[in-house]
Amino acid sequence: MEPDAPKRPGKGAAIILTLFFQITVALFIYALLKAENAVVVALLLASLGASFWAVSRNPAALDQLAATLRQHRAMALTLTLLILLAVPLLVGSDVYILHLLILAQLYAVLALALNFQLGSANIPNFATSASYGIGAYASALLATGLGIGFWLAVPAAVLIATLLCLAVGLLAMRARDTHLALVTIAFAVVVHQLLNTLEWTGGANGLSGIPVPTLFGHSFADPLHALGIQLPSQANFYYLSAALLAVMILAARRLQASRVGLAWNAIRADEIAARAQGIDVTRYKVTAYLADAAFAALAGAIYAAYISYISPENFTFLLSVTIMTMVIVGGMDNIAGVLIGAFLITVLPEKLRLFSDYRLFIFAGIVIAFLLIRPQGLFPKRLRTYGAAA
Amino acid sequence: MLAQQLLNWATMGCLYALFALGFSLIFGILKVIHFSHGDVAMTAPFLCLALLHFVSAPGAAPALLAVAVLVLAVVAVGGLGWGLDRTIIRRFRDAPPLMALVATVALGIMVREAIRHLYPEGSNPHAFPNIAPGASLTGKEGAGSLALTIIAATALISGLLYLFLYRTRIGLRTRAVSEDPVVARILGIKDGQVFGATFFIASAIGATAAVLMSSYVGMARFDFGILVGLLGFSAAVIGGLGSMPGAIVGGLIIAGVETLAQSVIPGATPYRLALVFGLVMLVLIVRPTGLFGRALIEKV
Repeated sequence: MEPDAPKRPGKGAAIILTLFFQITVALFIYALLKAENAVVVALLLASLGASFWAVSRNPAALDQLAATLRQHRAMALTLTLLILLAVPLLVGSDVYILHLLILAQLYAVLALALNFQLGSANIPNFATSASYGIGAYASALLATGLGIGFWLAVPAAVLIATLLCLAVGLLAMRARDTHLALVTIAFAVVVHQLLNTLEWTGGANGLSGIPVPTLFGHSFADPLHALGIQLPSQANFYYLSAALLAVMILAARRLQASRVGLAWNAIRADEIAARAQGIDVTRYKVTAYLADAAFAALAGAIYAAYISYISPENFTFLLSVTIMTMVIVGGMDNIAGVLIGAFLITVLPEKLRLFSDYRLFIFAGIVIAFLLIRPQGLFPKRLRTYGAAA
Repeated sequence: MLAQQLLNWATMGCLYALFALGFSLIFGILKVIHFSHGDVAMTAPFLCLALLHFVSAPGAAPALLAVAVLVLAVVAVGGLGWGLDRTIIRRFRDAPPLMALVATVALGIMVREAIRHLYPEGSNPHAFPNIAPGASLTGKEGAGSLALTIIAATALISGLLYLFLYRTRIGLRTRAVSEDPVVARILGIKDGQVFGATFFIASAIGATAAVLMSSYVGMARFDFGILVGLLGFSAAVIGGLGSMPGAIVGGLIIAGVETLAQSVIPGATPYRLALVFGLVMLVLIVRPTGLFGRALIEKV
């Protein structure tokens, strides 16, 4: 394929290409999740690196692939949906894979939420761990302390976390860039310290015995029966977090394409110019804060119910940095990129466990190497097309 | 009792001020928070312990030996800071500040993990000797003289830093780069030299602070670096990033809040970090450039 001639493949070839691409990606993810041998993991990661390298050498091929996928959007979406639905069936008794996928989905929600601020509007925020943690603790406290059911505790927790983060966001509006980053870091540390010392949050021991949600009489702790097949109980939360992620992706796409997304991009490009154009900078910054805090708190509430035991150690400043790394590594303001970044950064440390004690060292090294080699992220933001591309 | 508290406040304040000086120096020229500063500094006490282990021949003059070990460790850590800047941090100079922040956090993890793996049983805390003059290397006596040593060392280091910045040519160049890197370059200043010198000095000061702190606390831990880094940078922020007097005042304020929480306000001890970082938020919200920072005037 010549990069300078964007030749569209024929209809049949395009369908085969789409199917081939999706199945390859799915198989790769499955192989990576299943791999339990250091050599296999290293080989898989090397092949992943090679394919990213190949794509970066030939960006036209990537554009063509994206165009092909868009051409057969309905089919591609259906297949993705089918694969995602079938995952609990495929992994069978290996519930650890489901656990990893649930975490990856929740982290993807966090990363996409942060992407509103960091990617779209270039507002630094290191307080993801705070909004996530407040969401988790609020829902857990409402459920254990007041006996409020999960489906009511979650929106209440989201409201509490959003209001708290909004208050801090509004107060911090005067600070910019590095100083704003510092305010959010300090906020994250304060929240972590308070969770760690306050008596009613359980202190360093955290909260345990968070009740399992039930839906239409079906407890999420029970195995899921569907079409005569029994799925492990983790499948409940897998589908719940998948639904949350789907809503998140939809919201992110809609926001990105809307006036709000455009205003965010204008603020990112030049705040003063945006203000001169009549954009209410403060309002849109607050919108970004709201969107981030609300989704992060939602993910936190689901995490608390899933894991049923939370402690301050789950919500340290390092978590914020990890989520930020997902956004930067994946590609700021690019939804697909952020998703890939979130998946890789969730799964990578787990797989590096095979390198035992050195995993943190290797992980940090990979992050630094990545920032040096490809600072714009795996998939940099794309130019806005304004409906020109059908 | 009161005198004891005051001495403890002054000592901790001096230690935080020394860490803050490094953050402030580096931020002044690079406009980047060097988040691995605390971890780089924490390599110094471990280096000291390793060196002491190798050279502690029975009957050797302890005082001379201790000084030699200390100097060696401080210079080595200065070199480590210089090397990290050369190989990694400098490359993020023109990148968005967030990149550098994330990269230095990752770098801090690497340094911390390296200490843990390279030093035998690095995960456990290791006893650290009292290095005050007159104290034997193993004895516990002389805590008061150690505190005075730390205060004197801080005064000496701040004085030397002032002389370096305001009385030497390279100091002048450093201030020029900090003021305006582009103009400094046009004037023929090799900014690479300035970066190298700044990182060396900041890391060496941090190393001294880490050794003094380990000695004051009586032990060295591989994960001291995180807390020390956060507290040191808070001190630098409260004082105003880039301002040297601000770093010292900030260190004293942070230690003051800690001491108050520990000894004056009943039941506040567990909340001391929350109070400290609450204060950081307050200062940043009310005076985003810190107490001694210069206001940023935005050019359109």
